[in-house]
Amino acid sequence: MAYEVSIFLENKIGHFERITSVLKEAQINIRSMAINDTANGWGILNLIVNDPKKAKKALSEKGVSVALRKVIALEMRDEAGGLDDLLMEVARAEVNFDNAVGRVITETQKAILILNVDDYAESIKKLKKQGVQIIDDQTVYGTSQ
Amino acid sequence: MTLEFWQEEFETLEKKDLQQLQLERLNKTIESACRSLFYGELYSKKKIKPGVIKDISQITELPFTTKQDLRDNFPYGFLSLPKKDIIRLHSSSGTTGNPTVIFHNRHDLDSWANLMARSLFCAGVRDTDVFQNICGYGLFTGGLGFQYGIETLGALSIPAGAGNSLRQIKLMRDYGTTAAHAIPSYLGRLYEVFEAEGLDPKKDTQLKTLVIGAEPHTDAQRKRIEEMYGVRAFNSFGLSEMNGPGVAFECTHQNGLHIWEDSYLVEIIDPETLQPVPDGEYGELVMTTLDREAMPLIRYRTRDITRIIPGECECGRTHRRIDRITGRSDDMFIIKGCNVFPMQIEGVLMKIPEVGSDYMINLETMNGADEMVVEVEVKSDWFRGDIKRLDSLSKTITRQIRDEVLAKPIVKLVEAGSIPKSEGKAIRVTDNRKNGLLN
Repeated sequence: MAYEVSIFLENKIGHFERITSVLKEAQINIRSMAINDTANGWGILNLIVNDPKKAKKALSEKGVSVALRKVIALEMRDEAGGLDDLLMEVARAEVNFDNAVGRVITETQKAILILNVDDYAESIKKLKKQGVQIIDDQTVYGTSQ
Repeated sequence: MTLEFWQEEFETLEKKDLQQLQLERLNKTIESACRSLFYGELYSKKKIKPGVIKDISQITELPFTTKQDLRDNFPYGFLSLPKKDIIRLHSSSGTTGNPTVIFHNRHDLDSWANLMARSLFCAGVRDTDVFQNICGYGLFTGGLGFQYGIETLGALSIPAGAGNSLRQIKLMRDYGTTAAHAIPSYLGRLYEVFEAEGLDPKKDTQLKTLVIGAEPHTDAQRKRIEEMYGVRAFNSFGLSEMNGPGVAFECTHQNGLHIWEDSYLVEIIDPETLQPVPDGEYGELVMTTLDREAMPLIRYRTRDITRIIPGECECGRTHRRIDRITGRSDDMFIIKGCNVFPMQIEGVLMKIPEVGSDYMINLETMNGADEMVVEVEVKSDWFRGDIKRLDSLSKTITRQIRDEVLAKPIVKLVEAGSIPKSEGKAIRVTDNRKNGLLN
């Protein structure tokens, strides 16, 4: 089961850098990132990192509002139509997701799609039934690299 | 210029006659107050009896009454008459604490309507005017208080109520409104709507008099309003504990507000030493009702900071003038016409488990309107990384604050630890509002 690191972030100068400097100090490697902005002056920063638990601990110690959220990582082909084919499968499995982030694995012809879902267990079940390949944590975090 | 009065016999009383009238009314007020639970107990303990005051200056021997006393004796502890004689109440909000409630019998409402009519007359409003009251009706005193005053004066009243700017403009144009009452910050917003509609209130309405009150404002702000609308704008002062509007009003000389001394005994005290300050010096306004039967209040500490303007007014009225309110001796502020104590907001926030203990209230002028921005920390351990949850938390806080103080805030969620920790007396409110409108 893979985790993303979700961080409450105000849209103010220097606030993002405060997060990245904590992660730098903790020697955390960021694999992918996405910011979900709201119209209210704040947003959520979602990170996939090589060591989510360590990242959370480091950020918490600095008083940052941070949470680990279960995500589902799916494999797709790194070529035209790869995402479309995968999303077709996800739709057939009737899994709905709030937000998603994609990432290429450079050393293979594969890419990863990371999904945030409301009902984690149910979604996993549906995807497995549909035969969608779920990627192991090692590959998501990229700790082998 | 001929001098005109609504009630010349009262408005131009010589000082000694006015003081004699005050003395008679004060003793009557004490007698009536003694019938209430609160004053009955307090005065018997202090051995204060009706008729004890021989000279008006002896008022300083009586104890003060505070807002807290009103809250502690909620709802009927200040009533001097049986409930069957009471015909109306007006009250502040206060879903958490006890609201401040004032009761009136028929005499009180008539007296209030008369003072309101006297006030409007002194600002130049006449029975030939079409008067639009742009103000919330209901428990808020600005609605019905003005309504009865306009009717008593004999002008044509339009009880327009608050908000809905397009409708306000339509009413003004349909009926040829010549005078209106609104809170000053709203008039800035209304002007923007005029502009957006391609209208100029100077040309496209018949407005000539605006009455502005319920919110402290500067003379610069008044001048802006006068320029925007091409009118004369008059400052109205009142507080719900003293009925509401109609306590003090500017005359056409626009140089301070005549406070109706036949109905209110006025003192200015140093809020620290509680001693009277000389005329001309700023201090806290303390008021005693002289013509209220259902619920007299004696030496009520208004918390409003003002001063007596020395000297006589050219208008011929002998009732002294107070200056515009410059502040509060407590931490109350006024936004969108609503009185707000920071503690009310704190009370709401502290009941919401997701909210941390630190918050800030920033009063800002945004797009010509005054707004209350409430910065709230979200507790780190509550954070789940879920945007929907935070959005709904933000909406919950907005709704609950609005329900409490009646003014809608702009709620801003901020990072935990980003608001300075409170050490001792924390500064919770910043007021960055512009002096004038539309800056």
